[in-house]
Amino acid sequence: MRMLGLALKMLLDAPAKSMGTLVGVVVSVFLMSQQLSILLGILSLVSAFADGTDADIWVASAATENTDITDSLPATRVAEVASTPGVAWAAPVIQGMSRITRPDGVRELVKVVGVEPPRYAGLARTLVDGTQRESLRGPARVFLSWSARPAFAFPAPGERLEIDGKTAFVAGFFDKVDPHSSYTYVFANLDDARAYTQFPQDRITFVATGVSPGEDAVTVRQRLQARIPDALVVTRGELSAMEVRHFLRRTPVGMVFGMGTAVAAFIGSVIVAITLYSSVVDRLRDYGTLKALGATRKDLVRLLLAQAWLFFAVGAGVGLLAFFFVKAHAPQAPMLAPPWMLAGVMAVSLTSCTLASLAAVRRALAIDPAIVFRG
Amino acid sequence: MSTSSSQVVLEGRGVGRLFGTGPLAVRALHPTDIQVRRGEVLVIMGPSGSGKTTLLSLLGLVLSPTEGEVMLDGRTVSGGSPDALALLRRERVGFVFQQFNLMPGLSALDNVALPLLLRGTSARERAARARVALARVGLSDREAAKPRLLSGGQQQRVAIARALVTDAPVILCDEPTASLDGVTGKAVLNTLKDLATDLGRAVVVVTHDDRVLAIADRLVEVVDGHVHERASPSAREVHG
Ligand SMILES: Nc1ncnc2c1ncn2[C@@H]1O[C@H](COP(=O)(O)OP(=O)(O)O)[C@@H](O)[C@H]1O
Ligand SMILES: [Mg+2]
Repeated sequence: MRMLGLALKMLLDAPAKSMGTLVGVVVSVFLMSQQLSILLGILSLVSAFADGTDADIWVASAATENTDITDSLPATRVAEVASTPGVAWAAPVIQGMSRITRPDGVRELVKVVGVEPPRYAGLARTLVDGTQRESLRGPARVFLSWSARPAFAFPAPGERLEIDGKTAFVAGFFDKVDPHSSYTYVFANLDDARAYTQFPQDRITFVATGVSPGEDAVTVRQRLQARIPDALVVTRGELSAMEVRHFLRRTPVGMVFGMGTAVAAFIGSVIVAITLYSSVVDRLRDYGTLKALGATRKDLVRLLLAQAWLFFAVGAGVGLLAFFFVKAHAPQAPMLAPPWMLAGVMAVSLTSCTLASLAAVRRALAIDPAIVFRG
Repeated sequence: MSTSSSQVVLEGRGVGRLFGTGPLAVRALHPTDIQVRRGEVLVIMGPSGSGKTTLLSLLGLVLSPTEGEVMLDGRTVSGGSPDALALLRRERVGFVFQQFNLMPGLSALDNVALPLLLRGTSARERAARARVALARVGLSDREAAKPRLLSGGQQQRVAIARALVTDAPVILCDEPTASLDGVTGKAVLNTLKDLATDLGRAVVVVTHDDRVLAIADRLVEVVDGHVHERASPSAREVHG
């Protein structure tokens, strides 16, 4: 790319303007990454229950919007599900809202999830080191969220709490099942959970289902749905998507961060477009000279693209560094930056820098080389 | 000096230019025949506004004629696409402007090498040839300087080096001394004269400055868009 050196020298010759453009690209890339990563972080919380618990397929009441807004099923559903071909196991799960009384007397809102021994289907998949699923077997044993410990004054294993006025001993901790809500999850065995939430004996909330090895979850889901048409049957991925869809529909969060991202992309490209265009206007004589000396249309396009891509390369690099710096220093913010998101931000920024150079290219191509002879 | 047609590198045949249309049209140059020959300095003189720059722009293929044609190396080239003309300029024509028109962000060496960059010459060869060209105009010691750190005369010599670096057979100069003081102007004129005598380039100098006559092999005068060939002045060395 022989125009790169020339492009760089032209940019360095107008350091203030180039710096301004660079800051624009940096801010744009930083903001895009930051807005998207917070949105993804929030969405990962929204779908944390589906993503973080142990079931391939969930059966729930047909009257279900998401895992918060759902009804109950007759407990007899479990046997129906279990006897369906392709199902390896099926177990009842119940859930209900309750309160844990903190040492200082504040009653924290919790969602108690009851899971059935010995399989504990529906339990959080990630248990903190030292926590065994079997610890839930004894009476009045609960698992708390590791990240929610501050709310409960960092209780030690074996410590006694009260849920809905009833005794509960901390039997261990799980991780990665924290909702984007004002409650935290508590796992208990099925019987205790019924007691904590006053859940009717003959009803359940979900049937957590495992698919036999070699079976396809979607096929088994279709089979289950045909067998129990009056219930909702979804795979783990479908439940996760359902949670996200409902959240995006019901809250402005997606809009807010989506708009933030779009505005950041737009501002970045507008800044590059304006500065590149005005740099051509400032340098009509230079571009005219290049044309007189024999620069073709292609040469000019390359020269301006090289300038736009230099802004992209340096600006995006610095913007990403700034983003990772903030991400590393703000561990409490729910920020997720999967490679596909970063690649997407890069692609959007590269595209907007490229599109932004078009106005400048048009202006440069329109220059009459004869201006080089005018005083 | 021979005037055989084989020596003609650049030629205008009935070439003329009208700006605008209708009653507001300006006749900048009446249809004109003009030949530019290898190894000569052709001086085009005339008062301001007489059409000199228009003639030079037509010969340099940066302006398209409304009448006639421009021939380069015996081929009609006017009427080509903008890119075709750009490629011809790149290969065959060097320019020297009154305003120098150096790129402000580039060093003297990079400015001289610019036409080679456009041609796709390798970086190493660009630097080597640009150094030779800078040495020819006596500016070897200023190769790293940006134009704003150079005097007017030095800038014009950098521009001349840029025009000669590609071995283009034609070098077109528009008022090359107009922005320079007398002594500096003479040095620049001597450099231009050398390009014709030593390197065999065809050098065309447009001017309204009488001092340029000192290097002229041939002289044409332009008055109100009409071009007249004058008797060849005897070239004499300019001292300065
Ligand atoms: N682009 C243009 N549009 C309209 N008129 C022009 C243009 N360029 C030159 N002219 C006119 O053509 C005439 C000759 O101009 P020019 O060739 O620049 O003269 P010189 O170089 O001898 O001073 C002048 O009257 C000038 O105003
Ligand atoms: Mg003029």
